[in-house]
Amino acid sequence: MLAVEVRDLSKTFRSGWFPRRLTRALRGVSLAIPRGAIWGLLGPNGAGKTTLLSILATLLLPDAGRVTVLGHDVVREAGAVRSRLNMASGNSNFIWSLRPPEILAFYARLYGLYGRALARKVDDLLALAELEPHRKVPYHELSTGLKQRLALAKSLVNDPELLFLDEPTLGLDPDVSMRMRAQIKALREERGTTILLTTHYMREAEELCDEIAFIKSGQIPARGTADALKRQIGIGDVIALRLDPPSCNRLADLPGVLECTSQDGRMECIVDSADKRLPEILRWLHEQGVVVRDVDVHEPDLEEVFVELAK
Amino acid sequence: MNWRSEAGRIYAFANRNVLMAGRNVFFVFELVFWPSVGVLSIGLMTRFLALDPEMTAFLLVGTMALSTVQVCQLDVSYAVLFDVWSKSVKHQFLAPVGIRHLALGSWLVGIARGLTVFALQAGLSRWAFGFDFFHAGAPALAAFLLGCFLTSLIVGLLVSALVVLFGTRAEVSAWATVNLVMVFCGIYYPVSILPPSVAVLASLFPLTYVLDAFRAHFGFASAFPHPLLTGFVLSAVYLGLARWALARAVIRCRRTGALLKMSE
Repeated sequence: MLAVEVRDLSKTFRSGWFPRRLTRALRGVSLAIPRGAIWGLLGPNGAGKTTLLSILATLLLPDAGRVTVLGHDVVREAGAVRSRLNMASGNSNFIWSLRPPEILAFYARLYGLYGRALARKVDDLLALAELEPHRKVPYHELSTGLKQRLALAKSLVNDPELLFLDEPTLGLDPDVSMRMRAQIKALREERGTTILLTTHYMREAEELCDEIAFIKSGQIPARGTADALKRQIGIGDVIALRLDPPSCNRLADLPGVLECTSQDGRMECIVDSADKRLPEILRWLHEQGVVVRDVDVHEPDLEEVFVELAK
Repeated sequence: MNWRSEAGRIYAFANRNVLMAGRNVFFVFELVFWPSVGVLSIGLMTRFLALDPEMTAFLLVGTMALSTVQVCQLDVSYAVLFDVWSKSVKHQFLAPVGIRHLALGSWLVGIARGLTVFALQAGLSRWAFGFDFFHAGAPALAAFLLGCFLTSLIVGLLVSALVVLFGTRAEVSAWATVNLVMVFCGIYYPVSILPPSVAVLASLFPLTYVLDAFRAHFGFASAFPHPLLTGFVLSAVYLGLARWALARAVIRCRRTGALLKMSE
């Protein structure tokens, strides 16, 4: 069962009068997100992440393509979709002089809650976001971390089946980010919420997401699990060797070795797969009478994949 | 449709306007200072010009109508303005709410504030200038106030549409648009003195008829046949158009991305 299905989605923004400027934010994007998944959307600034998220959240109308969210068309049946999804972003704002319980109560009412259920929901969310000690503090006096926790709490007022998180840990301290990530994981585990998140933090994507789509210039050139993306991009693993004698130029001729460099008495070989090539390299070095003093294997991380894809 | 949920959504906007009004000292100016200055300065001018009681009534009725419309209309406009100012527009339009919720919720608070302004001005007029606003009787007064509040709702919705379309660049319309009412609806003069082409414009404003009907109770012959009926029919038509304009503005914003830009 799919939570989100997107086919050939396009969106162009028009600005200015003369000359009329066109910005093609999305160019034929297609994707499918299963229910209960945590999906990551990575990409450089201006790649189209927020545009895609906003269309899925019914905040923006697409130019072309078909978008189905929770079984409903986002253009023709937007009303049916809105009550079942929600969104939080790292740069969310709320009315400056309202206090956290008032903000939560306002949005909870917009989602149809009233009476005791409303009061209970507000209390639960304040507890979840650890905002109880800040009940009386106006929004504009809250710290960045508290504001983001409030934004996340607001996004849960309707127990959404589908949650969009746009840079949820942007600008947060590491400990607060860690707690935020734990809450996001708990949402999926405890409530089965489908989550689509954009982030610039690769560690966050790797830690949270079942699958990651990389978006660039309005298109999705790569998608898959973090490991699959690393393999797909083919950056290669790095095998660092300390040898005696310190250099062995013929290593570069071995099958699967893409590149070999020597620096500070260490050789670094980029290979297609460290698992496959390391035993072969060690065997060959032994046959050549070269002593291996130290071996270090380094797999590329998602950040390197990001840099490679963003080129 | 769950009526308690519907009422809750309307109440959400009403409650928000009340909370904001209670925390901003400038709301006191809107509610007390400007209306008092308005009615006192116009009343004193009638003294200076040695106007008879009928002419004094004419001007004070106009002043009170303008203040009431202005205060109530601002509340309707605040339903969108608060979110534009705080850059939180997207949260409101992400939720399953309709124009009816934000319009009705904020209008109810606008009516309460408008009644407060009216009561204050009526009291001041009676105390300082001996003008009895209740002389027209309760039904006429109720029709007059309803006409004012409907005009406020129409103007507020149109201002909201402009704000949704143009963001903070259009916020000045919240305070400026009501001045059109002052020019065209005969706040300080009868519309019969307007040049014919402008008088045609005046006849398009529902408040023109509402004022005309109410002033008939203070000795001024009505310039229109069935002024109240015409005023309310026009109000209903414009209300539909204003609601449509705001709905179209929101759709346009969803298309252009302005909704997101206003939230950044």
